[in-house]
Amino acid sequence: MTPDGRMAPSPLLLDGEEQLIPMQAKDIGWLEAQARRIRATCVQMAYDAHEGHLSGTLSCVDLLVALFYGWLLVNPSRPRHPDRDRFIFSKGHAASALYAVMADRGFFPRQWLLRYAQEDAPLPNHPCAHALPVLECSSGSLGQGLGIGTGMSYGMRLAGIDARVVVLMSDGECNEGSVWEAAMFAAANRLDRVLAVVDNNGVQAVGRSDALMGHTSLAEKFRAFGWAARAINGNCLAEILGALADVPFEPGRPSAIVARTTGGAGVSFMQDDVLWHYRVPSEEELGRALDELRASPIHKD
Amino acid sequence: MRKAFAQGLIRAAEEDERIVFLTGDLGFRVFDDFQRRFGPRYINVGVAEAQMMCAAAGLALEGWRPVAYSIASFATARAFEQIRISITYPRLPVLIVGAGGGFFYAHAGVTHHAGDDLGLMSLLPGMTVVAPGSGEELADLLPQIFRLSGPCYLRIGGFGEPAYPCAEPATLERARLLREGEDLALLTTGTLAGVALQALDVLAREGIRPIAYQVHTVKPLDLATLDGLAGRVRTLVIAEEHVPTGGLSAGVAHWATGRPDAPQVLRVGPPDALALGNPTLGRLRREVGCDVDGLVRACRQALDPGRRHRAGMAVAG
Repeated sequence: MTPDGRMAPSPLLLDGEEQLIPMQAKDIGWLEAQARRIRATCVQMAYDAHEGHLSGTLSCVDLLVALFYGWLLVNPSRPRHPDRDRFIFSKGHAASALYAVMADRGFFPRQWLLRYAQEDAPLPNHPCAHALPVLECSSGSLGQGLGIGTGMSYGMRLAGIDARVVVLMSDGECNEGSVWEAAMFAAANRLDRVLAVVDNNGVQAVGRSDALMGHTSLAEKFRAFGWAARAINGNCLAEILGALADVPFEPGRPSAIVARTTGGAGVSFMQDDVLWHYRVPSEEELGRALDELRASPIHKD
Repeated sequence: MRKAFAQGLIRAAEEDERIVFLTGDLGFRVFDDFQRRFGPRYINVGVAEAQMMCAAAGLALEGWRPVAYSIASFATARAFEQIRISITYPRLPVLIVGAGGGFFYAHAGVTHHAGDDLGLMSLLPGMTVVAPGSGEELADLLPQIFRLSGPCYLRIGGFGEPAYPCAEPATLERARLLREGEDLALLTTGTLAGVALQALDVLAREGIRPIAYQVHTVKPLDLATLDGLAGRVRTLVIAEEHVPTGGLSAGVAHWATGRPDAPQVLRVGPPDALALGNPTLGRLRREVGCDVDGLVRACRQALDPGRRHRAGMAVAG
């Protein structure tokens, strides 16, 4: 039963547009091309809006592409379907990547991307569920998405809903103590429908996460907190899809994918450089980036 | 009051199956019945207030009505950011309960003092802030709180606060008339209502009969009642177990700034200072004038402005 007393519908019994089906991931080549288009879109959006954060935006594009085109059970025409997988984008500062993927999947018109980070637009520089109600929650203050996700998962278990909760986090976010409070809660309550995906790009706003975390392993930390964790290359779509196919990694334990990524991945001169946490590309840099990516922004086709 | 809360919570949870209770590892034995009856709707989060608030937010997003319980200082200050972002930003109907609000735990030391709980929670847009004065008052208010569509902070005291007779039942967001009177008004919030009623008995023997209100809802403030008092009395005496910033007197002073005919506001309560020395609650209240004698004194002085300076009382508004 759902909290308001309705029977939770099963996706197997629904027909037509009510269905929740993962978008069929065509092949790796198609997904890689898709990731390049999303990256081109993000660089264009950063240039148009004079908004930075490209380092941590580009690093998580492959993760988002794998999730939204190959794994998440969602339906853009039924964004509040009770059985949908809940996706929480906890690293809100990388919003343009989320917006580009959601627009491409049809959650809202691509033209909205033109107004990214403008006043009164539905796509502010940090995601706001008041402005964009198809979001599960707002984000921008780090370290809260995992806690919210564990509460949602607990609530869904109470309601008999079997859907999964995916929280995409940054490695810098894992500096926050609240992340580990949430990790403890998820393990204690055996929330094995929770998947944390850490975009482990190694760069934070000012420093390098490895040094700031004392050169320790995030996967080991999650394991020590009772999770099943796997470390992968988060800029390799085949590896990401391989890991996602095995979730939950162990019954009764929440799963963590610690995805080693490169900040600014896909654009050679932005890669692995703290400068690009905040820097906005110039017109010349925009052109070079689009050339390298061999792709056009999805909203400017 | 905690027993009344635990019992009221069970009644509410029987009627509304969306109610889920989270505790930050506090309330030993107080919620055993709830746990027995409702199983997984009882969640001990552990000593993790930030997680308690985020998990409550997640539960509310899924349609549940979470109640997050801890000692007042930890329920508010410790998890302020999580309440601000995860609960009030999306306007979720989470009830945050701070036990031992104000200086109930005075003797436990500064870590357990919550003289700022009402102010912290009042800072948050859309938050309803409630501080009942007795178990009976809390029992009246709790079902009304569960009908709110947004977040609420509920300060509850300790154990065994005496019930007090009232001119009317407790209605959320309305100041509750304790006793009719004239010339001046005495406003209280939280457990000082009981102290105020004792002070009124002493004053009555002297022929002083303040209009007394228990302002259990600190936010939103009952402006209609304040407006009504503006024409009737020259002074409002406000007794609060709260620091001068952000509590009832601050709210009333804010109201007074918008009214040229507002009565003078005379505050009785703890100063903006650490309460060091592990005082008992009784001693602390005596020292800041929030005991029976202190309230009697304040009301006498309110009627005799010339004596105010000698008493060193703070005048706000």
